[in-house]
Amino acid sequence: MTTKKPIDALVETLQEPKKKKTIIEARNVDVFYGAFQALNNINLEVEENSVTAFIGPSGCGKSTFLRCFNRMNDYIDEFSIKGEILIDNKKIYWKNVAVEELRKEVGMVFQKPNPFPKSIFDNVAYGLKIQGIKDKTFIEERVVKSLKDVALWDEVKDEMKKSAIALSGGQQQRLCIARTLAVEPKIILMDEPTSALDPISTGKIEELMFELKQDYTIVIVTHNMQQAGRISDKTAFFYMGDLIEFGETKQIFTTPQKERTQNYITGRFG
Amino acid sequence: MKFSEKIIVTLLKFAASITILTTIGIIMVLLFETIAFFKEVSFIEFITDKEWTPLFAQKHFGILPLVSGTLLTTTIAILVALPVGLTIAVYLNMYAPKGFRKTFKPLLEVLAAVPTVVYGFFALTVVTPFLQSIYPDLAGFNALSAGIVMGIMIIPFVSSLSEDALYAVPKRLKEASFGMGSTRFQTSFKVMVPAASSGIVVSIILAISRAIGETMIVAIAAGQQPRFSFDPTVPIETITAYIVQVSMGDVPHGSLEYRTIFAAGITLFVFTFLLNSISFWIKKKYQEKYD
Repeated sequence: MTTKKPIDALVETLQEPKKKKTIIEARNVDVFYGAFQALNNINLEVEENSVTAFIGPSGCGKSTFLRCFNRMNDYIDEFSIKGEILIDNKKIYWKNVAVEELRKEVGMVFQKPNPFPKSIFDNVAYGLKIQGIKDKTFIEERVVKSLKDVALWDEVKDEMKKSAIALSGGQQQRLCIARTLAVEPKIILMDEPTSALDPISTGKIEELMFELKQDYTIVIVTHNMQQAGRISDKTAFFYMGDLIEFGETKQIFTTPQKERTQNYITGRFG
Repeated sequence: MKFSEKIIVTLLKFAASITILTTIGIIMVLLFETIAFFKEVSFIEFITDKEWTPLFAQKHFGILPLVSGTLLTTTIAILVALPVGLTIAVYLNMYAPKGFRKTFKPLLEVLAAVPTVVYGFFALTVVTPFLQSIYPDLAGFNALSAGIVMGIMIIPFVSSLSEDALYAVPKRLKEASFGMGSTRFQTSFKVMVPAASSGIVVSIILAISRAIGETMIVAIAAGQQPRFSFDPTVPIETITAYIVQVSMGDVPHGSLEYRTIFAAGITLFVFTFLLNSISFWIKKKYQEKYD
């Protein structure tokens, strides 16, 4: 490598993309289920408009951690959390936070497709309707846009009144993503969104995530290491409630710093 | 097959056939006596005449007053039981702490175990005087207090079965709704209740069917005056109350008056049979909605 002239180095610094804004920040997060400690002192930052993957063996706490970001763990008895989670610089576990408002900013897609037993249209319109929006044209436009965003529109445009339960698994999952997009959250949490789907549907959803990160921040929990490698910008490896390693996905998969990470991604355990 | 096994199988078959034979027997008796009744009274008169006076000198055989009395008390009962029962079900399922649900639900079901004669006297001696203090023109025997108390009696039918239906809704729908930023109230009434609607409808139908067949409360508190009217403040008579009245009286066996109770009985049977069939059909049709 030749030595650079100082001026070139300066040009490079200027051209280097500005560091992205941090949208999720976890500070010293401990999570307990009763006496059992599920997460130990987790510190992690997620950048805006990126895909972050959480990987690790079952029971390592990655789903628990993901569900802290929209406080879905609130419904579990004996759940308690210490430390702080900030979304857009606001503490979400502060007692005055309206959980309903938080969840409009932080949408979630679940492991198993869970459309409501309602029509396709009503599924996507649900989030808008519960916010009290009554403007029909606005709702219709938003529904169509969301379905187009998930590439489902062409498949369902003639049967918007049909029950969503009648769709295939892959279509249902894209519908659930559309339902989340319709309320325009900032962040989308995905809890193993493709684990119940066939490879073709999985491919479609992975492509979709690539598109979505232009406008949204995505955090995904996945058991599928190739998937994490394909779609994410950053990867966090969890083991037994500890965040073992967190960094650029490329680095984690090619030159992991910790032995545990290496053993996991090479399939030596898990 | 071993000999002892054969005996057991025969005994089991015998036990099963007893229930079926009893049902058939009841239907046969109802049918034969009803046919004999309709040999003397025209079917058209039975379903169109607005007076029911088989025990008087001037005899009329119109079932409508008894049907209207039955429908009136049943409607009042459902108006009480449905909102209260459904609210309890939603509260237990969506709001109450887990431990509370476990203790409260069996307690509520005790309501169904109170002897109906107790409810009857409760209606007559507590509810009616109370209602009279608000509305003095209320008759001592009336459809209103009988209906209200009957409604209280069937609350557990609605609440318990509806809660079972809500409990059976997959957890992932609740999560989806909360995940979208819905409140508990929105989740309850926009997702959970619609998703459990078939079970809830079945619970209501069964409650209606129970109310239609209920005898003691109406016999004690609603009066014994067949009247084709939907005024809840005056004495009326239901189909069941009429049957009690005649069965306990000294009507000669085999007379036309005696046969009226079978005609009334079969009317009642048709109602409850239809309702039970509808609920069975709904259950079957919508049962496998979620995998």
